[in-house]
Amino acid sequence: MPALSNTFLFVEPDDNYLDYGSTVLHQIVEANKQSGQDITELMGADANPDKIKQILAGKNPLACAMIGHGSETIFTVFNLAPLLHAQNLSELALMNSRVVALCSCLTAVSLGPALIDAGTVSYLGYNKEFWFYTGDNAGTTRAVQSPFLAEFQFTVSLLRGKSTGEARADQLVKYDEEIAYWTTGDGKNHPSASEIANILQMNKGTSTFLGQGSVSPSPQSGALPAQINSAIPLVVAVAALGYAVYKTVLA
Amino acid sequence: MSKELVNQWYNKISNVERNLPLLLVDGYAYTPQMAYDEVNNGSALGAKLQALIESGRFGTSSLEEVAIAKVRVRQILQSKPQDKILFATMSNKTFTPAQLLAEIESGTQIGEQWVQSEISRMTALVRVR
Repeated sequence: MPALSNTFLFVEPDDNYLDYGSTVLHQIVEANKQSGQDITELMGADANPDKIKQILAGKNPLACAMIGHGSETIFTVFNLAPLLHAQNLSELALMNSRVVALCSCLTAVSLGPALIDAGTVSYLGYNKEFWFYTGDNAGTTRAVQSPFLAEFQFTVSLLRGKSTGEARADQLVKYDEEIAYWTTGDGKNHPSASEIANILQMNKGTSTFLGQGSVSPSPQSGALPAQINSAIPLVVAVAALGYAVYKTVLA
Repeated sequence: MSKELVNQWYNKISNVERNLPLLLVDGYAYTPQMAYDEVNNGSALGAKLQALIESGRFGTSSLEEVAIAKVRVRQILQSKPQDKILFATMSNKTFTPAQLLAEIESGTQIGEQWVQSEISRMTALVRVR
């Protein structure tokens, strides 16, 4: 059965420094979710393999954005529990026909390509370390949020109805905006501006997109307002024509 | 080209960056602050530094790029609290500035990733307009 449009799963464990990413992803989902979307967020200890598999089977989401520690071949979630192994076909099949974004290290080396080979339609991940800054508490400052604001722009764009290719392009633009903020923008005199700019530069350089760019997990959320707007002049024209015909007949 | 371009460039970069070595002329590294002063003094050295800035280069071979990048990263990291965890990765690794500096000095893969990123950032910095 094909995965369901407008259905999203977000996996947000908060242990082992993962709260630095999870707090940002949660805020982004809250700020960008659209009416009609079926969204599941598994947070903290709920971000475990059993619950993830339960949601995948029950809700069959088209798009999954997950945070977790990773390596070339393994992606883990809460309590470092492995969810996906590059050599385990039954685990890879969990992501069949889905858009999968892994905020993790190194999975683009082997796991990402293995997912695509196993039927994942689009994959986003990193082929080296994904770095972040921990100088402040999780979620409290732009400095600790910045790497994740760039990473999760992909999710923002998908929630707003864009295709995977458009969302990827938006993500790269967001990386450049964040780098500019710390290099020449308002953040340039922050005590750790140069390290944060370096972190963003490294993450951008190792970010990897594989698979199809034409998939829109939530097509109507972005397209509907544009369709309504373009339809308004037509409705007005038809009404005006009708009124003119009515007046002509009466005359 | 005029020295206004150099002044505009200098004004756009951060206070910290102004005092990190960036531009290499005749085997010596100069900070943006030094370049700004030399250019505004109208010295011969200032003319060479201005030419580098205008062309968007920092005037080094790849070996020299690595050397300057390491000096810059070392200077930055040594100015931080040495025992506070400031950096982490999504492979469950954490680093204090001292630990990260050790990776860079030892030439590990992680250290190399930071040095190469610093070189990219130096290129971007000298091209700020």
